[in-house]
Amino acid sequence: MNAIMIVELKKHLQDKGLAFWMLILPILFTILFISVFTTGDNEAVNQEIIQSIVPGYIVMFVFFIMISMVQVFIKDRNKGMTARLASTPLKSYYYLLGKWLPFTFIVIIQIVVLFLFGKVVYDVSLGQPIILLILSLFITFTVTAIGLAMALTVNTENMGIAITQIIALGGAMLSGLWMPLEMMPVFMQTIAHFLPQYWAHQSFQDAMAGTTQVPELLQTLGVLFAIGAAAFIIAIIRYPYFLKRAVK
Amino acid sequence: MLTINNVTKHYDKTEALKGVSITIPGGTCYGLVGPNGAGKSTLIKMITSIIRDYEGKIEFNEKRITDKTKQKLGYVPQDIILEEDISAFSNLQLFGRLYNVKGNSLNQRIKEVLALIGLSERSKDKVSAFSGGMKRRLNIGCALMHNPDLIIMDEPTVGIDPQSRKYIFKMIEDLKTAGKTVIYASHYMEEVEKLCDYVAFLDRGEMIENGAISELLQQYAVPSIYVKGSGIPQDKLEQYGTVSQEEGAFILYTEEALAAMEHIISYCRENRLDVERMELVHPRLEDVFFRLTGSNLRD
Ligand SMILES: Nc1ncnc2c1ncn2[C@@H]1O[C@H](COP(=O)(O)OP(=O)(O)O)[C@@H](O)[C@H]1O
Ligand SMILES: [Mg+2]
Repeated sequence: MNAIMIVELKKHLQDKGLAFWMLILPILFTILFISVFTTGDNEAVNQEIIQSIVPGYIVMFVFFIMISMVQVFIKDRNKGMTARLASTPLKSYYYLLGKWLPFTFIVIIQIVVLFLFGKVVYDVSLGQPIILLILSLFITFTVTAIGLAMALTVNTENMGIAITQIIALGGAMLSGLWMPLEMMPVFMQTIAHFLPQYWAHQSFQDAMAGTTQVPELLQTLGVLFAIGAAAFIIAIIRYPYFLKRAVK
Repeated sequence: MLTINNVTKHYDKTEALKGVSITIPGGTCYGLVGPNGAGKSTLIKMITSIIRDYEGKIEFNEKRITDKTKQKLGYVPQDIILEEDISAFSNLQLFGRLYNVKGNSLNQRIKEVLALIGLSERSKDKVSAFSGGMKRRLNIGCALMHNPDLIIMDEPTVGIDPQSRKYIFKMIEDLKTAGKTVIYASHYMEEVEKLCDYVAFLDRGEMIENGAISELLQQYAVPSIYVKGSGIPQDKLEQYGTVSQEEGAFILYTEEALAAMEHIISYCRENRLDVERMELVHPRLEDVFFRLTGSNLRD
């Protein structure tokens, strides 16, 4: 498993597309939207908006890891690498873990870097860093599990990219990552409660402000874990079919 | 020893293998020969347990193929399957680790294999920058990292430059000298004839004949004499065997080639016939396949 993980990390490190989607683009969006929405004179209001935009774009852009996940698995399958590895003593679930874990590292690093960016450039408050970290771990699990389920299910890379866009952009809009939920119709506010982005965003903001309520935190962690676990189960169910197609 | 016992494999519509049985003795180089689509790759994927749903039984040293037996197997796939975005060194490292080669012995082995495949100088370069022949050699190197007892190569010389081909032949000779068992699938008969001791012919999913190459040549292939000259009557040649014509020359197939040649030479001398060219043509594996199937191997 380590063998696979090391190679994956090597490849990810030189992948410029990955750095673009995961770090450059969210930073650009954050800068752009903060400059657009903080034109008023009221410092307190501006800081409030910043406190929402920074975690909002973090939650939105963690989902873009799914593109990379689908690329890695489909490429491996089509190139015959998955089949070739089946001729080695590597256990097939170690293959899965070896591919998956590097993505979790990337997402965690991504979240940490983006929060630090917010801290250094916009002086956002990171009131409860431990809780922020715990939330980051859970959202990482959720996102990479959904990515895994999708990567093992779709037939083509393009389909994976399309689904990622829908989940990342649609989820961001419906969860109030782009504009406050209160400004949206009631039925959309209801939909938001079924989306992991909404819960992650709310709890990130609470933890940043230092106003986390334990029951609410547990609720968020529960939702994130449940969605992640469901996706992970789908991934495990899909895996044998993926392997079968890889052998052709 | 590898025993393939009555294996059958269906894909959705095609029956890729039909009741194939082959026994491959240890320490030999065994050729798998057949035209494209014969079922060579399918059989190899079954041996390496990439394909698991098939009928029949495959055993290595009297045991079914498990993760433990896989440790003794090296597989060179027909397609070049490498991690293109990392170096040759990293690729070898990956495959070494997959077979539990670790630490110092891993680095040592990478050096050895790099020398073996002639890529020591390019080891730090990304594979995507390699030529086809270099990739082919690395493709083989990855299968040798764990020093396996049985090496299975699926068309390792397809689309390759002469220099790389030489390297690969040398490697196979070295593996044979080291007492390894090699399975060599190819549709190039002359390669198999040069490298292998045994051969099995596959055609449309069936194993049509197998055995020691020297014996098959004796059994099936008739030596022939190529005769070109003016005024040599065809019916004179037909006294010794069957005759076919080819671009103004005769080809005489006969078991007693040397004796026939002697007779033809004295006949020509006595009758003052002009012989432009006459030679004894040794039977080739190609001829055996032709005798068995009535068809040549086509690309
Ligand atoms: N994944 C597959 N699905 C369906 N048919 C296949 C598949 N792989 C091979 N075949 C068919 O099985 C037969 C044997 O193929 P193969 O083992 O690749 O032959 P060879 O290696 O001798 O060229 C061919 O008719 C081929 O079309
Ligand atoms: Mg083949």
